[in-house]
Formats: sequence, C-alpha cells, structure tokens
Amino acid sequence: MISLKKASIFQESAVLIRNLDVEFNPGEFWGIIGKNGVGKSTLLNVLAGMSNHYEGEIQIDGQPLNQINHRVRAQKISYLLQEQEPCLAFLVEEAIGMGRFPWLTTKSEDIDITGEVMNQCQINHLQGRSILKLSGGERRKVEIGTCLAQQSGHLLLDEPLNHLDVVYQKHIMQVFKQYSQRNAVIMVCHDIEAVKKYCSHVLMLLGNDCYLSGTSATILTETNLNKLFDDSSQLN
Amino acid sequence: MGVFHNASKLWLVSVLLMLGLIITALLVGSVTTPINALWDANSPYYEVIWQLRFPRIINALMVGACLSLAGLLIQNLVKNPLADPYLLGVSGGAAAVQLLVIVTGLSLAPLMLFLFGFVGSLLAALLLLKLSYHGELRPNKITLNGVVLAFGFAAFISFVLATASGQQVKSMMFWLMGDLSFAQFNWLMPILLLIMMLLLMKKARALDLLARGDLFAQKSGVNTKQLNLQSFVMTALLTSMAVAQAGTIGFVGLIIPHMVRLLVGYQHKHLIPMSMVVGAGFLLLADTLARTVMNPIQLPVGIFTAMIGVPVFLWLNRKL
Repeated sequence: MISLKKASIFQESAVLIRNLDVEFNPGEFWGIIGKNGVGKSTLLNVLAGMSNHYEGEIQIDGQPLNQINHRVRAQKISYLLQEQEPCLAFLVEEAIGMGRFPWLTTKSEDIDITGEVMNQCQINHLQGRSILKLSGGERRKVEIGTCLAQQSGHLLLDEPLNHLDVVYQKHIMQVFKQYSQRNAVIMVCHDIEAVKKYCSHVLMLLGNDCYLSGTSATILTETNLNKLFDDSSQLN
Repeated sequence: MGVFHNASKLWLVSVLLMLGLIITALLVGSVTTPINALWDANSPYYEVIWQLRFPRIINALMVGACLSLAGLLIQNLVKNPLADPYLLGVSGGAAAVQLLVIVTGLSLAPLMLFLFGFVGSLLAALLLLKLSYHGELRPNKITLNGVVLAFGFAAFISFVLATASGQQVKSMMFWLMGDLSFAQFNWLMPILLLIMMLLLMKKARALDLLARGDLFAQKSGVNTKQLNLQSFVMTALLTSMAVAQAGTIGFVGLIIPHMVRLLVGYQHKHLIPMSMVVGAGFLLLADTLARTVMNPIQLPVGIFTAMIGVPVFLWLNRKL
C-alpha cells in the first residue's frame, strides 16, 4: 500500500500539488489524469523515491518513504519512466535482466523470470538484439518488460502507451490489469478512454491545488471531465 | 557479449598473447638478447633483462591497466564516449607539481617524485569534485568543469615550459607525452590496483545499470549518488597512480574501453577484467616499440599509443 497524507509535491521550489490525501492499495488500478505540467510525472518521481521534494507523509507498506533504502524500495516499487535516457548497446535480455537487480536471486531464477516476462510482453523475437537497434515501440516494450521483471509490489507507469501500436496497447493494458489483481498499479495516462476501460480508480489533478480521487465511476463523470478540459473553468 | 561469444576462449587468446608479448619485450631493446638469457644467470644479458627490462615491463602493464580501467569508469560516469581519465584534471595537477619539482632542481628519490605527482593529481581531482558537487555529482558539470580546468593547467604548464631552460624542457616534454623510462617499481600500485578491481567487480551489476542512465539506475534500486561518487574517487586514484608513474599517456583510457566493449559487450563483469588486460597489453606493446623502433633513441610512448590505437580503433568501429 502506498499512502499519502497531507502530501505536498514540489518542483524546484514551486508547489505543484498541495495536501494530497490518497491511498493506493493492492488490487487497485489507478489512472492519474490531468493537463500537461500539472505534476503527474513529478508525483510518480516522488513516489518512486527519485525526488525528495515533498512535505507531509508518504508511506510505502507502512514505512516512511524517505527511510527505505534504495534496494528495498526497488523491491517494493518499479517505475516505467516516460522517456528513455541515452545509453549503451545492451542486449534485450540483458536489459530486462537488469530489473532483477534489487533481488538477490540466483542467476537461473533471473533467467527464468526474464524468459517469462519476454513471453508476457511478446518480445521473444527480440532476443539477442541490441536495444539501440530497436524501434521506439520495441524499445518501449523492453522497458515495460524490465519493470515487470522487477516483480515489485507496486507498479508506477508514466504514459506506458507511448510509441505502442493499438493492438499492443490492448494487450499490455490487459497485462497491467492482471498485475493489479495482487498489486497496486498507478498509471499516468492521457488516453481517457483507456483509463475508463481499464482503471478501477482515478486521481484527477486539476491544478491550483485541486484534485479529485475515487473510483473511476465516481470521478470520470461528464461534469468532472468538463472541469478538467475546459480552459475557462477554475476550481477553488 | 560482443564479437566473442565464448568468454573462456577470449581469455585463453588474451593470456597467450600477453605471454608472447612479455617474452618478446624481455628479449628486445637496445640489444636483442638470445632466449636462453632469460634463465641463464651466466649470460651477460641476464641482468639487463631482469634488472632493467622486467621492472619497466611490469610498470607498463600496470599503468596500462590503471588507465583503461579509469577510462571505463569515467565514460560510464559522465555518459560521454569522448571522456578520458584526464578529464578529471589529474594530469594537469600532477604535471604542475612535478614540473615545479623539476624546474626548482630538487632532486628527489623516484618514490618521492611518484608521491608528489600522486598528491598533485589528487588535489586537482579534489578541486574538480568541489566545483562539481552540489548535494550530488552531476555528470555534465564534471565534463564542463573538467575541460575548463584542463585549459587552466595547460596554460600554467606552457608558462613553465616557456620560461624553462633547454635541457629542462626536453625532460619535461618527455614527461608530458608520457614516458615509462623513469618509472620505478613500487608495491603501492599493484596493491591499490588489485583492491580497486575487487571493489569494482562487486559493483559490476550496479555499474551496468548506471550505463543505462542515472534515472534508470536510481529507479532500479542503485544508490546512484554513492556510486557516482565512488566512480569519481576510483577514477581519480587510478589516473593519479598512472600519471605519477609515467606522465600523461594519451589514448589508452579513451580507446581501450571502447575496444573492449566491442569485444565482450557491455556487462561490467566482463568489461572490468578485460579492460585491465587489454590496456596492460596495449601499453606494453606501445612501450616496447617506443624503446626499439629508433634504437638506440627512446621515443615517448604516447606517440605509439596513438599510432597503434587510432587505426585499430577506427577499423573496429567501422566493422561493427
């Protein structure tokens, strides 16, 4: 469980989200929606322990986030970054195997898990290829595979559907949905239809310190979506 | 894995090449000695081989291993393929201190000169660290500050050279282009090198993740702040040892890590030991050429690291 109590999220010194109270539980598939620059990715960065620009209380499985060491945190949380960084030419299976870093499992276990994940992500045919020679979509699949291989209790996804074709989008959303049966999955996504279809819960960030959270049915109403997308309306 | 899919085969080839190289290096020089001089204590060349050539060969191997390992680390740290160990300004620091020693005419024991250079280069690295560290080490800060600092040191060195006497200039030039002929064997270097290799092998997996980017490593559970700092310190130590021992030898730290990546792929568990072996062998080859090609004149080894390294690297890079 990831819980935020009166949490404020900063970027540099500006506050993006103020007094956020929300709990992400195993079995829930959360969609985070909101306009550009409202703090969606920054929130995921904070939850993944990549940024400590926050105030208030954030706990992962009952432990304060800032007291968890790096390896243990990665056992609890895996994070799909929005964009890949430039890097060296690792092979696809080496790249996915890197997801096993936080766990002190044996090499053969790691190989088994890597194989399973490659099946699950339908990227068996990419085995032996350098990740630098993949297309944008293929590379995205490898990144997703790396996160799944991490087998963490919580999965944070920053715009996972980027670069993916429509058929694969459907497939991978099913994979995430399945993952969320035993874990918490939190996804930042601009595709409202996908959020409607797959997410059980929604956190809608409206800017100006306003947010709405709850089950998809209660949040994704026409009125709320109008609030989100109407430039002129502002909530107090 | 890169070109070689079989690690043990690659190791076998490397060890055989290395042995051949060492034996050749023992036998050639200002005089070419017969092979039985290696074990025949009565041979007039026995002493030449074991008192003069052998320590120099060991030094060449160690300096080569230090430089290529340092290059591997710094390229991974700053994520820049053009980075070489001298980016940390350590060569400038060592040069400044050792040149001052030469100019003032202080005659020091070789170990003292080594220690002076070592301290000078560490001070330069500390200065760079101080300038680039803001709560954490930022790769692009290191790169920029390092390049700018190197210009500063270069200006200082030019100043010293411009005002020094002719004889002094010659010995300094040798030093600035890298030269193993003054190097004296000391135990500090192999011991430190071995310790650092073992420490790095323990970090091999974390270093792989760091090669995928700082954010990637961090989100995957690597303490990147700590690992970046450790990489910096180790690079500084390794380069300082090499510079103090043999001056500024170019190309080894820049080219060998790339060559080894092409050979064994990108995993540090292979890269670390193989860089050390290839770097060591490469510098020994260059040094052996430096002391034999224009016999009896000895040339700076830096000429040969470039003359061999550049074409070999360009060829490898074209092929893959």
